[in-house]
Amino acid sequence: MKGFLKRLSPFAPDNSGVVSALFEFGGLIAVCDAGGCTGNVCGFDEPRWFTMRSAVFSTGMRDMDAILGRDHLLVDKIVSAQETVKAPFAVLVGTPVPAVIATDFKALRRMAEKRTQVPVLTIESTGVNYYDKGASKAFEMLFDTFAVENLPVEKDSVGILGATPLDFSSCQAGKFLADSIDKKAYVYGMGAGLEAVKHASANERNIAVSPSGVAAARLLEKRFGTPWKMASPWLPEELLKNCSSLAGKKVLIIHQQFAAAALREKLLAAGADDVACATFFMTEKSLTAPHDRTLKEEEDLAKAVEEFKADVVIGDRMFKKVLPDFQGGFIDFPHFAVSGRLWENL
Amino acid sequence: MADRYYFISAGELAAKGADNIPDELIGNKHLIYSSPATLAFNSPGAQGFGVKRAGLAVPDSVMLLVAPRCCGRNTSALAAPGNLGERFFYLLLDDTDIVTGRHLVRIPEAVAEVCKSLPAPPSAVMICITCVDALLGTDMERVCRKCTEKAGVPVEPCYMYALTREGRLPPMVQVRKSVYSLLKPLPKRSDAVNVLGFFTALSEECELRFLLKQAGVNKIRELALCADFNEYLEMAEANFNIVLNQEARYAAADLEKRLGIPSVELTRLYQLDKVQRQYLLFAAAIGVQFDDKVYYNEAAAAVENFMKSHGNISISVGEWLNGDPFELTLALLRYGFKVPEIFGTVGEGNFVWVKKIAQLSPETRISSNLSPTMMLYKDNEIPCDAFIGKDAGYYHPGVPGVNWNGESQPFGYAGIKALFTELDTVLTAGKEKK
Repeated sequence: MKGFLKRLSPFAPDNSGVVSALFEFGGLIAVCDAGGCTGNVCGFDEPRWFTMRSAVFSTGMRDMDAILGRDHLLVDKIVSAQETVKAPFAVLVGTPVPAVIATDFKALRRMAEKRTQVPVLTIESTGVNYYDKGASKAFEMLFDTFAVENLPVEKDSVGILGATPLDFSSCQAGKFLADSIDKKAYVYGMGAGLEAVKHASANERNIAVSPSGVAAARLLEKRFGTPWKMASPWLPEELLKNCSSLAGKKVLIIHQQFAAAALREKLLAAGADDVACATFFMTEKSLTAPHDRTLKEEEDLAKAVEEFKADVVIGDRMFKKVLPDFQGGFIDFPHFAVSGRLWENL
Repeated sequence: MADRYYFISAGELAAKGADNIPDELIGNKHLIYSSPATLAFNSPGAQGFGVKRAGLAVPDSVMLLVAPRCCGRNTSALAAPGNLGERFFYLLLDDTDIVTGRHLVRIPEAVAEVCKSLPAPPSAVMICITCVDALLGTDMERVCRKCTEKAGVPVEPCYMYALTREGRLPPMVQVRKSVYSLLKPLPKRSDAVNVLGFFTALSEECELRFLLKQAGVNKIRELALCADFNEYLEMAEANFNIVLNQEARYAAADLEKRLGIPSVELTRLYQLDKVQRQYLLFAAAIGVQFDDKVYYNEAAAAVENFMKSHGNISISVGEWLNGDPFELTLALLRYGFKVPEIFGTVGEGNFVWVKKIAQLSPETRISSNLSPTMMLYKDNEIPCDAFIGKDAGYYHPGVPGVNWNGESQPFGYAGIKALFTELDTVLTAGKEKK
């Protein structure tokens, strides 16, 4: 049945993806909700929330706000909070409530910009899509708004786009990604902040390390001619160690597409017989191999394993719940957007 | 322009009166800061007991969450084997569903599928719906009846309508009614009572049980202690209900209307004399006498010993705890301690405590955890020797204290005794370390 989950629990939604992408840029982030969505984001989907202060707020919508569309009250609240936070920009994040009442985000943006005198980004997430869609929109809008100045290219500088703990399952991913590149790396949103975004045109090239980074990479290519590629330059050592004896095996990797594709390359190089990737999330055609598949429903996962006749499945261990009859090997590859597990807490 | 966190002294606030509480202390007048200190209030489901977990208090029940994926996301935290994860199912809505409500026709089929997937039929399927259905005006009672027809098990709605939090029937009030809604009339037993209000059990040491036994009450039932659905159904034979949390008033009224069970309300207090007085009035109301001397003395001794060991220390009080922060503050002040600050939500209900605090300690600062200005609160900005409440602990890293928000529910003399005993343990350990 469409949308029915018997064994899995819901993956991170698009509004979490928006907050995750923008968490470290110093903006005032207002989630347009009644409180529960912000609670989900801060209490569950944003592991940095407990160690790093960021101005993430709920707009605290109530039934009459939704019914009467009291946008001016929302703008009053933003103006008042901005007096405290003094953020360089503000973000309004959509949730199911504004989606149902068809909030006019463009009008909200104009009203809020006029009164706060800072740029206001409005991201119309709905809470029904996956995190990557929200993160992608957020990165794209951030660069569209702030990466406007055409600067001379800085030799050996690399912009890393699409890094979030939701994708990389580690709060240290920014450091690991930067260390994995032999150049001056700016990991946007996990180490590199708003000033680095403003100087993005100086990058010699960009790397989209997850599907969430692709739209921003394309934007920067179009605006400044910055070449880019898709890659996932960091895979955890522990994972590679656990995958060290898969020569001759048929392996199915279930993860975010870029991470899965990077692992596939390593496994094939180490002698795996065949490796397919499956994902519930966004995909890029150029990284898709013939056996790869996009999963929609919970039961698609078991079908994918059966049809590929996998000897070994690599994926977040939450997926094991859907594979009670699978007799092959299973290697845990945590995906925070799936299970909320971090490598550092394993 | 704010350059520090907002606070108001108890003296100033009392002078303003309950009708003039400053906007900074009222959640719906500003953006809500969901700091780790306040997650439990802004989004009860994020940490602690939200509607989803509460709805599963009915023994052997399962829950179907019908909502956009963002509403069910944090349930992953409960998904560990042996936890509640195995009792949650989801019907996730897409963009079209949330606008047209077409998902409603799929719910009966999903409920049937849930029942089919389980080794034994559940006692009930609780259907949790969220803001989307609140806005769509879904008649969930009707949908539940259809589900019962299709699946052959009781199906009850749980309304997780965060939009109505400050309304007449907020979600945590509604869900308390939902969890007792499966009770059907039974002949009354004069020696049976129910304790309503919490989703977890009263602490084992709580004297309320012993006092009721003294009065001839042999069956004291709590939802959390019902071993199975049959035991749960026996709650319908109670002679009266004892309401320990005002959020259960609506459920108690419903039980009185449907099953003819009257109720009496007791408040969780930390002032010894008020606890004693409450028991006296309660005993009179039910026509008995309680001998509570031994429990009173034990609690009084715990307070006295603590004072002897640690002196009249200053304690920061938060609201993420089992109790009302203002009543607890008043108790601490009356015992002789100092309370420099309270993080709490002031309303009509607890303003009476604010007035009394103002008389004893007018300079005590009152702040709202939810205020955006709390971003500016510097760690340990107001020095204290100890904290009570998980949120107060967040603002005072390195300071000894107790979260006092455990699942075993403190009440009465036993609650006072346990609080001071726990505080003593923590503070003594801190001293020894030094």
